[in-house]
Amino acid sequence: MPNGLRIILLLTPGLGLVMTLMIWVLYRAFAQSFGLYNFNGDDLLTLSHWQGMFQNRRYWNALEWSGYIAVVSATLAVAVAYPLVIWLRRPFKGSFLLSALIKAPYFVPGLVAAFLLINVISYHGFVNEFLIWIGVWDQPVRMQNDKNGYAIIGLQVWKQLPLAFLLLSGAVAAIPDNVLHAAQDLGAGTWDRFRKVVLPMTVTAMQASLILIFIGAAGDFTFQAVAGPTRENSLATLMVTYQGASYSDWNGAAVIGVTLMVLSLLGSIVFAALVQIVAKLMERV
Amino acid sequence: MPDLDIRNVEMRFGGFCALSDVSLSVSSGKFITLLGPSGCGKTTLLNIIAGFLHPTQGSVLINGKGVTSLRPENRDTAMCFQSYALFPHLNVHDNVAFGPRQKRVARAETQSRVSTLLSQMGLDLHSTKLPNALSGGQQQRVALARALAVEPGLVLFDEPLSNLDAKLRDQVRSEIRSLQRELGFTAVYVTHDQAEALAMSDEVFLLNGGRIVQSGKPRDIYFKPKTRFVADFIGAANLHSGPINSGAMTTPFGPLSVDSPNLSMSTVCWRPESAALGGPLSGVVSSAAFQGSYLDVFLTKDGETIRLQISGDQHLEVGQTVSFGVPRDRVVIIEDTDTGQANA
Amino acid sequence: MMSLPRLNTILATCLITTLVLWIVIPFAMALMWSMVDPGTSWSYPDILPPALSFERWRIMWETSSLKTAMFNSYSLAPVAGMIAIILGAPTAYAFGRLTFPGKGIAQILMLTPIVLPGFVTAVFFASILVSLGFHSRYFAILLGHVVLFMPYAVRILSVSFSQVNNEVVNAARDLGASPFGVFRAAYWPAIKPGLFAAYLIVFILSIEEFALAFVIGSPTFTTVPTILYSYLGYDFIRPNAAVVAIVLVVPNVLLLIVLERLMQSANPANVSGKG
Repeated sequence: MPNGLRIILLLTPGLGLVMTLMIWVLYRAFAQSFGLYNFNGDDLLTLSHWQGMFQNRRYWNALEWSGYIAVVSATLAVAVAYPLVIWLRRPFKGSFLLSALIKAPYFVPGLVAAFLLINVISYHGFVNEFLIWIGVWDQPVRMQNDKNGYAIIGLQVWKQLPLAFLLLSGAVAAIPDNVLHAAQDLGAGTWDRFRKVVLPMTVTAMQASLILIFIGAAGDFTFQAVAGPTRENSLATLMVTYQGASYSDWNGAAVIGVTLMVLSLLGSIVFAALVQIVAKLMERV
Repeated sequence: MPDLDIRNVEMRFGGFCALSDVSLSVSSGKFITLLGPSGCGKTTLLNIIAGFLHPTQGSVLINGKGVTSLRPENRDTAMCFQSYALFPHLNVHDNVAFGPRQKRVARAETQSRVSTLLSQMGLDLHSTKLPNALSGGQQQRVALARALAVEPGLVLFDEPLSNLDAKLRDQVRSEIRSLQRELGFTAVYVTHDQAEALAMSDEVFLLNGGRIVQSGKPRDIYFKPKTRFVADFIGAANLHSGPINSGAMTTPFGPLSVDSPNLSMSTVCWRPESAALGGPLSGVVSSAAFQGSYLDVFLTKDGETIRLQISGDQHLEVGQTVSFGVPRDRVVIIEDTDTGQANA
Repeated sequence: MMSLPRLNTILATCLITTLVLWIVIPFAMALMWSMVDPGTSWSYPDILPPALSFERWRIMWETSSLKTAMFNSYSLAPVAGMIAIILGAPTAYAFGRLTFPGKGIAQILMLTPIVLPGFVTAVFFASILVSLGFHSRYFAILLGHVVLFMPYAVRILSVSFSQVNNEVVNAARDLGASPFGVFRAAYWPAIKPGLFAAYLIVFILSIEEFALAFVIGSPTFTTVPTILYSYLGYDFIRPNAAVVAIVLVVPNVLLLIVLERLMQSANPANVSGKG
C-alpha cells in the first residue's frame, strides 16, 4: 500500500471524524449568522442578523462583560501562577504537597466549584458566619452574584490556575540548571537571570496559558449562570438564551457564537503579542 | 592574572562527605587538572571555586583575597560547562556577548571582543545562528568563547570535551591549551580522562573519595605513583607484592630488581612499556594483540598475569615462553593502601 | 534577619494551611448541607446544622431523577471512552510512530475541539441535528463526547506509541513472530498503561461534561451535571444540589487518582523526573 494512502486511512477515523464534525459545526455557525439554515423562515443570505445584534444593547454588554472577565481572569491566573512556579522550582520540605494542592481544583468540575463557592460566600455561608462570629462584621453581607463579577473571576482563577501552573512549571523545569549557572557565572544576579534567561525561555508557555485561560473564560457559561451578577450576560449565556425555547432565534445565537470565536481569536493574538513585547522590553531594560 | 588557593576545604551533603581537607594552590597562568573517577569530588571542588557551592569548612582565595562567601556573579571566574549550557534563546553572537554586557563593558569593546573570539574559534559565519543549529564541536567553541569574553582571570573547565568524538576531542584539546598560553589565564580543568590530564596539564591533582591522593607534574604522576589506586587509575600497571632482599623482589616471573635496600613486605609497580625483551624474567604468552605502534602482550606464570607493551615490529606467538627485563629505575615502591593519605 | 529556608517553611506552611482549608471547608459545607435533616432547617445563627440525617439522600434517590441521570451518565461514559480509543488509536499510531508531511499541522488540528468554546460547539452541533432530524439524544451526546474528548486520548496514546521500542519490534520480526505476535510482544506492553489512561480520561471528562448534555439533552435527557445545574440555576435547592455535587465529584476524584498513577507508568519520563 502506498504510504500516503496508508496515512490517510489511519487518520480518517480519528482526525478525520473530529475535523468533519468541527468544520461542519463552524460552517453551521457562520452560515446561520448570515441567515442560512433559518429554522423560522426562508434561508436567505443576509447581514440582517448581524445588524440586528449590533443594535442590541444586551449583545454589546455581553461582549464587554465576557471580554472583561476573560482578560482579568487570564492575567490574574498567570500572575499568581508564575511566582508560585518560580518559588517551587527547587523542591523543599512541603513543596510537593503544595503543588498537589495547587493542582487540585483541576479535578473539580466547574459546576461543583461554583456550588462550593456559593456555599462559602452566601448570606448564611461560612465567610459571613465566621466574620460575624469573630466580630469583624455585625451582620451578614451580601456577596453572592456581586455586580463586579468578583465571584466569577475568583472561580475562573481558582479553576484555571492549575493549567497555568502545569504549563509554566513544565517550561521552568525545562531550563537546565547549568544554563542558569552559566548566566550567574557570567555575572547575572537573581533579577538579571530572571529577565534575561527565565522569562525569555518561558514566553511560549506564558502565551499558551494566557490564551487557553482567555478562551476558557470568554466562553464561560456555568460560572456566569450560577455565580455571576443576575443583570449581566456572558456571550455564552446570551447565546443559549437566544437559541433556547423562549426565543428559538438560532441565527441570532449564531451571530453571538461567531462573535465569541472572534473575541477568542483576537484576545489570543493580543495576549501573545503583549507577552512577546513585554519580554523583549524586560530583556533590554 | 590571579592565583588560586584552596585551604582545607570540606564539603558535606547531609551525612555524605564529598570533599575532606582539600588544599591546593595554583600559581597564575598555570593549567592544572583535577582528575579522578566519577564521584571523587572533582566537580564539587570546581563548583566551590566557581561559587555555586559553599564549602562547609575551609576557604577559597583568588589572588590572595578570600572569596568563600562571594556569589558566583561577583567572582573573577568563568566556567565552561560539560553540557555547554548555552542560552538556547540567544544566537551565537548574543551568547558570547552575554558576559561583557552583564559586566557593563563598553559597547565597542564588547563588539570587538566578540568578533575577535568568534573569528579565533572559526565561528564568524555562524554568529546569527541559534545554538541548536550548531554541531557539538561548534557549540563547545561557543561555550569557550562565551567564557573567555569576560576576560576572566580563572577559567574553569568541567569535562568540556566529554561530549565530543575522539578526533574532535584531540583538536579542541590542543586549541584550548594554545588559547590558554596565548591569553595567559589560569585554568582549572576537571576530567576523568587520564590521557587528557597528562597531555594538557602543568600539574595534575588526582582525587579519590573526596581527597587529593597525589599531585604533581604529569610525568611524575605517571612514572612515580604513590599508591595502588594512582598506579591503576593512570594507565596500565603491573603490581607485585612480597619482600625485597638485596635489591630484588622474587616474583613468579623471576627476580625483579628494585632500587631499594631490604624491606619486609612491600608492593612494587612498573608500566607495561618499561619492559624490554631479553632479561632475567620470563613468562608464557597468553595473548598478544597487535596495536600498530606497539604489541600488547599478556604473560602468565603460576596463575599470575602481567602486561607488556613492546615495539610493534616484534612478533610473538601464544604459548611461547618469553624472557624480558625491567630497568631498575622504572620499578617504584608504592603504598598498598587506598586511604588516600599519600599526599602528606 | 530571618534565614531564607526558615522564611520558606513559614510561607509554605501558611499557604498549605490556607489551601487545605480552602478545599476542606467548602466540601465539608457541601457534605453538611446534603445531610441537613429536611424536618429542621439550618439558618442564620447556627454555625452547624441542628440535626443531621441521610433523609435527604433517601428522598433524592427515591423521588428525584437522580437515578435516571446517573444511569444516563454512566451508560454514556464507558461507551464514549471505548469508541474514542478505538477511533483515536490509528491517528495516535500515525502521530507517534510515523513521519509524514503536514504532521505538525495535523497534530494542531486535532486540538480544535479543545480550543473551540464548548457552548458554541454544543449549540451548532444541536443545529445540525435539528436539520438532520436526528432525535436520539443518547447517541447525539455520545458522538459529541467522542469527538470532544478524542484529542486527549490521542495525545496520551501517541506518547505511548512513540515509546514502543523499534529494536524490540525488529527483534520480534527477526525471530519470526506473526503480526499479532509482534503486537503482543512489542506494542502491547508499551501501550497498555496509555490505553487505560486514555480510556479513563475520556470517561471522567464525559461524566463531567455539561455544555452538550445541557444544550442537546435538556429537558428530557438528564445527566448528573445537568441535574446539578437544575438545582443551581432555575430554582436553587441547596441540599439537593449538595447531594448531586457529591455524587458527581467523589467517583471522579477516585478515578483521577487512578489516572494519575497510570499516567506515571504511561510516561516513564515523568517518574524519573528527568527532563
